[in-house]
Amino acid sequence: MRRNPVFHIAMSMYSLIYFVPLLWMALSALKSNEEIAKDPLSLPTSWDFGVFPEAFNAGGLGKYAINSAIVTGTCTTAVLLFGSMAAFAFSRLQFKFSKQLMALITLGLILPLQSYFIAQNALFDSLGIKDTRMALILPYTAMGLPLAIWLFRAYIQNLPKEIFEAARVDGASDLKVYQTILIPMLKPGIATVAVFTVLSAWNEFLLALVYIQNDDLKTIPTGLLTFSTRYSTNYHLLFAALTIVTVPMIIVYIIFNRKVIEGLTEGAVK
Amino acid sequence: MKPTARWIPYFLVAPAFAIFSIAVLGPIIATFGLSLTDWNGFNTPSFVGFENFIRAFHDKIYMNSYWHAGVYIAATLILEVVVGLFLAGLVSSKKSTTFYRVAFFTPVMLPLVVISVLWTFLLNPDLGILNRILGQLGLESWQHIWLGDQSTALLSISIISGWIFAGFYMAIFYAGFQRIPSTIIESARLDGASEWQLLRGIKIPMVKNLTEVAILLCFTGGIQVFDLVYVLTNGGPYDTTQVPTTYLVRVVFRDQQMGYGSALAVILTLVVVGVGLIYNKVRTKDDVVVEY
Repeated sequence: MRRNPVFHIAMSMYSLIYFVPLLWMALSALKSNEEIAKDPLSLPTSWDFGVFPEAFNAGGLGKYAINSAIVTGTCTTAVLLFGSMAAFAFSRLQFKFSKQLMALITLGLILPLQSYFIAQNALFDSLGIKDTRMALILPYTAMGLPLAIWLFRAYIQNLPKEIFEAARVDGASDLKVYQTILIPMLKPGIATVAVFTVLSAWNEFLLALVYIQNDDLKTIPTGLLTFSTRYSTNYHLLFAALTIVTVPMIIVYIIFNRKVIEGLTEGAVK
Repeated sequence: MKPTARWIPYFLVAPAFAIFSIAVLGPIIATFGLSLTDWNGFNTPSFVGFENFIRAFHDKIYMNSYWHAGVYIAATLILEVVVGLFLAGLVSSKKSTTFYRVAFFTPVMLPLVVISVLWTFLLNPDLGILNRILGQLGLESWQHIWLGDQSTALLSISIISGWIFAGFYMAIFYAGFQRIPSTIIESARLDGASEWQLLRGIKIPMVKNLTEVAILLCFTGGIQVFDLVYVLTNGGPYDTTQVPTTYLVRVVFRDQQMGYGSALAVILTLVVVGVGLIYNKVRTKDDVVVEY
């Protein structure tokens, strides 16, 4: 395990495959459209950061970000709360139909979105909730729950049984046990499920594309696509918008990189 | 344990189950039902038996879409899983490689739509840097209209997919490698094993079950690929990158053929579930390998 300069030089070169596209995106935002068209490889001649507020205001990016935040926040809260409640019942309490209900929920882990979204679309149509935030919150929550329940159940089963039994002896009801004992002990699991749910809701595209036509309710992925068709020839504005969307995510990711990587891989492998 | 009160478990399960039933279970059953009907979304669905399925198997675009998905999956097995395994071997062979791991994983957490829009520009024949770099290197004959040329479009999508997800598989394998008892690795090193021999002889065999999971994920993810294809080519040019999901969206939301679309959705569902079941039958149930 000694230090090996050749290794680090080679790895740094390989990292360029990831850095160059993102760097090119950010630098192109600072160039004029003529400069971009003339020489895509040139560096910006002036460092005018005014393009970022311009793009932010022109395309309603703030609006899309708020929508994404509301949808993601609501469905993540629902997934964490309802998922942990159900997982507690499935892993620690005996009740009729527990096996059958769990089997149905497990089904949700393997079924592709395409297996239900046509009828879901028709249902939302008849309920009149298309073009409302509910049309995204409801399916995102439903899609997140199976994995959340599955992961929470695995966590709870790894906790020592005695803790729950001791609380029982002290006369606590199951709801009390859930609130005061389970939730604090479930924290690492909550972080994993939260990462997974937040990112899948924040990035989801297909349902957002189908259910939301009203520009005021679009989330970041569909909003950005609208932006890119509206300003398809205004390159530097488009690059600025892409940068505005990605840079905050990358900053958050760098701060919490361990949790993010863990959350996304664990969620997929389980 | 017996619950302290009989209603408590049902109370705990009810919200999750209600949401799941309304948004997923009910619609699945309804989609299966709709697949046996002719319906445009407005008229009353009329029962047509298996007509939609017969039509699907004669639908060249639909059948070809599975071929395209197959090519994409084969390409991404190499560009994502194999490359990811190799990267994991590299970053686990030395200390202080956090920087590389974080860098390689970056595209995984970004929205696919954003990445796809970025790549349409990177590959743009006039503005993109790829053709420009090839030109500067004197490789003009290598320049292509990458996403607009029938011979390169699907390959380009696969390569972009590799750029995004190789880091994801790297992270899975890296986590697996970290769980191999360090005594095994250290004693092999003392015996003079090279890093490459370590990877081939110890690390890869010990994460065999993770490799199987990775192949399954690559398959189930690949057959459902949508965002990338929709933004990069939307199935074009001339349907040469049409995959099951993009065609499905076109049939349902552009052509308004809900009944036929439901049949296409049912076929896709059966393929995904079928592969999942086969995987469960053949996967390694071996305690020697490291559990994730």
